[in-house]
Amino acid sequence: MHSAVENAGNLWSLLEKSGHPLTQSSSYAELASGSGISEIHGTTVICVKFDKGVIALGDRRATANFSVMYDKAEKVLAIDDHTLLSISGSFAKAMEVVRYLRTSFKLYERTYLQSMSLEGKLAELAKVIRAGVPEALQGIGGFIPILATWDGDANEGRIFFYDGMGARFESTEFGAAGSGSTQIRGVFDYIVKTKKPFHHMTRDESLKEALLLLDIAADLDAATGGWAKVLPVAKTITVDGIADVDTDTLHSLIAEITATGNNS
Amino acid sequence: MYSPFDINEAISHRKDYVEEGLRSGSPVVGITCEAGQLLLTVRRTHRKIYEIYDRQLYSAIGRQSDIENVRLTAIQNAHQEGFERSPDDVSLQRLVGFALSPTLKKAFGDQMYIPIVIKALFAELGRTQAMDCFYVLNYDGEFREYKNAAVIAGTHSAEEKMMDCIGVQDGELSRDAALQLALRAWIKGARDQVKRSNRSDEDDDILNPLREVDEVDADRVFLHDELKTSTVEAALLLRLQNKETRFQLIPEAELKNLISSFE
Repeated sequence: MHSAVENAGNLWSLLEKSGHPLTQSSSYAELASGSGISEIHGTTVICVKFDKGVIALGDRRATANFSVMYDKAEKVLAIDDHTLLSISGSFAKAMEVVRYLRTSFKLYERTYLQSMSLEGKLAELAKVIRAGVPEALQGIGGFIPILATWDGDANEGRIFFYDGMGARFESTEFGAAGSGSTQIRGVFDYIVKTKKPFHHMTRDESLKEALLLLDIAADLDAATGGWAKVLPVAKTITVDGIADVDTDTLHSLIAEITATGNNS
Repeated sequence: MYSPFDINEAISHRKDYVEEGLRSGSPVVGITCEAGQLLLTVRRTHRKIYEIYDRQLYSAIGRQSDIENVRLTAIQNAHQEGFERSPDDVSLQRLVGFALSPTLKKAFGDQMYIPIVIKALFAELGRTQAMDCFYVLNYDGEFREYKNAAVIAGTHSAEEKMMDCIGVQDGELSRDAALQLALRAWIKGARDQVKRSNRSDEDDDILNPLREVDEVDADRVFLHDELKTSTVEAALLLRLQNKETRFQLIPEAELKNLISSFE
């Protein structure tokens, strides 16, 4: 009971003490690299703003090398009542990080009786990405997330993306990660410049653009599932928190995209 | 070397020391209701009801630093267990029985340290209502599980009065009815503590603030008097919840309605 204060609110140090693999990143990567272990990867995830917050969208495909391993993967995950993490790359690592962040944020809040600040949450995510760099350099465990959140102080939805070393960047309009994201990067700019900024669009306008982007990614990237076979997962973050976009809305927007043609 | 007499004597002294420290603690009431698991107390400055984990609440009486130490230990154990295994594996049975109770027992028996002054009440929201439970953990590591209602107070007599007031419950009370009952039980317990602390004084009548008040009005007057320097605090673990957190501190406005119903 005497050490309780020492580790108060810090899940990382608790896990370090217990020798959890999350905090011992390089311990097995060397063995794993070149061993023929095929790692399952999540593919394309997209975040765009809309007039009342942020939409996060992810296809459902998970792949290992050239094989489709799973068609119902959840890649847009809530880590607290106002924060979503959209994950691409190593599924194992990403899921562990999601669990870590969920637990870490709650531990902090329950210990100190106040929420962790947005800066604190972003730094916590950077820390776990950075801790996984030795593994990622050896070809295993690398993942890239997009964090979307409702900032109560600024009263707006915000989107942050990271590089593989844990550097964090904020996007004013959109973010994408995963194997299909590079193919559609220019399309985001095209939409903003030729139509209007995402943050001026309604939820359904933004979502329709995001679905179209996902469809393009699926066309150009073999690993991205798109929405032809299984509907993607779409969630919104607003001042009221996180909400799922219902399947009827997704079906109807996809029907609109298909009806406008040139979607062959 | 200690003789059996010395050990009994030493334990008895430590027990007296701890129980003296607990005697004036503001009681805590736990009741299972339709909405979930409810804890209620009346506090002076510090928060007294805490969320430990997704389905666990904690409150305690005793020395503030000890209350805080047990709280931190419980939170850390629960979160480590929840992360390394699953949130479903975090239970009061494991937390109280395997993490907290042995530590408290060891501390109580260790003559080299000042005893931990605490009596704690934990509430757990089960996966079904039948699995809801309360645990009362004592300063010497002893603990006991309760269903539907549990209380802690500074004296056994106060706890008995509170449980008499609560009666037999089946967990079907509405949230508001549970709040009413919890506050009524708190008053019974707190009044009993005040009465007993005054009884040993020769000037019993002078010191007892309720001396000229009818028993019928005594609860109301007592609560009114207490709330001049204290605040009602109540928290729920919500049974139905689609958010990440089930913990809800009952808002002040709703507590005002509750208090006004006693006036």
